[in-house]
Amino acid sequence: MLTEQSAYSNRWRKVSPIAKGIFTFCGILAAFSAGSPVAALAVAIFISCAAIVGAAVPFFIYLRVAAPPLLFLAASTLSLSFSLDLNAPAIHFAESELPNILHICSRSFACLTSLLFLTLTTPLPDIISLLRRCKTPETLLDLMILCYRTLFVLSESVNNTITAQSARLGYATPGHSIRSLGRLSANLTMQVWQRSTSLQLAVEARCNDGAFRFLEADYPNSRRNILISATSGISMILCELAFS
Amino acid sequence: MHIMEGFLPVKHAIGWSAVSAPFVAYGLYTINRRIKEQPEQRMLLGVAAAFTFVLSALKLPSVTGSCSHPTGTGLGAILFGPTAMAPIGMVVLLFQAVLLAHGGITTLGANIFSMAIAGPFAAAAIFRIARSIRVPFGFSVFIAASLADLLTYLTTSAQLAFAFPDPSGGFTASFVKFATLFAITQIPLAISEGLLTVVVMNALTRFNSKELKEMKIISIQGAKA
Repeated sequence: MLTEQSAYSNRWRKVSPIAKGIFTFCGILAAFSAGSPVAALAVAIFISCAAIVGAAVPFFIYLRVAAPPLLFLAASTLSLSFSLDLNAPAIHFAESELPNILHICSRSFACLTSLLFLTLTTPLPDIISLLRRCKTPETLLDLMILCYRTLFVLSESVNNTITAQSARLGYATPGHSIRSLGRLSANLTMQVWQRSTSLQLAVEARCNDGAFRFLEADYPNSRRNILISATSGISMILCELAFS
Repeated sequence: MHIMEGFLPVKHAIGWSAVSAPFVAYGLYTINRRIKEQPEQRMLLGVAAAFTFVLSALKLPSVTGSCSHPTGTGLGAILFGPTAMAPIGMVVLLFQAVLLAHGGITTLGANIFSMAIAGPFAAAAIFRIARSIRVPFGFSVFIAASLADLLTYLTTSAQLAFAFPDPSGGFTASFVKFATLFAITQIPLAISEGLLTVVVMNALTRFNSKELKEMKIISIQGAKA
């Protein structure tokens, strides 16, 4: 996964996830505080620069990850720009709504850059440890940890099965595809049951009877980084409020 | 059918999160109760979340010839129950937002409501009603999975219509507009996902009915009827 690749290899990998979480949260708040499309775009540019220039996330990866949601945003914006008259069924361009639509689109874009900043600079285990600090229920965190740790095992199993099925023309026609996918999913469901039973045996053998705990990584200059991110985040919000 | 990051106004984002929170909390309560009775359920549900995530990444051939992705809400609700699907769905949606940038954090509440609450509850209810009036097993699974998929997309359309009512026709016109636009992809997808779920359940009941009964998640007695 491109996000994982970037999250583990960027320049800010060792920056505290709390600092990155605060900056993301401030970015989203600034996007919602923006009074105009230009102000929201300024937030988007600032946060993108923080990710690409500051954290050295490769531009190509950034674009590849951003492309699908941006396409979806374009489609959503297009659907908003048309109005439907139910009395005399007709569709017309909602010209009067254009400033509002541009504002929604730019706000969403700014929020997306904030989300991308977090996902491309912070590995998921760090985000889970951040959620633990935010007092997220242990059961939910356990589900996340188990989900993350088995995700790649199941993905590999799916890829191997698809390769084997494709080699036997399992996806040659739409009908074959549905049948092959059905068998793949059924096989995967059983793997879920078998793997979970094995995992349970493994944790019982290690006397685990509670939440999953892992050693948390040390982040150098954590307080300084949190202060820098909070200052820049709050400055961003204040700038947005001042210009709106 | 994800609503993307930052698309909903603040009041709607907070409102949908507040609506979804009790369902997730109740789901966690039932999961905790299950884990106390059967500790192995913790592993099962965790791996089930990964399963739902992987399933949602599969390419599904659509009736119109294009490709789409299954939601897994129908299958998940039938296998693991609708209450458990709310927290599992939350984890899956959060992972999709963080790992794939699909959906978002501010729209998590709205997406949970449509994909992890409305869809699974509808699937479980339709499946139980269909089985209680002796509809054949395969057809019960098909209508449960297909209608759950359709309800998910109608819920998303309603959420968007609430947030962005049409300037001339209000909520109704906006709902018709979004529902019609999404219908192009979602109706074929619902049919494909219904067929896929039938194939999965048939394969499971045929080859692994013992394991399914051991799971004790949903009674499949008379599945082959």
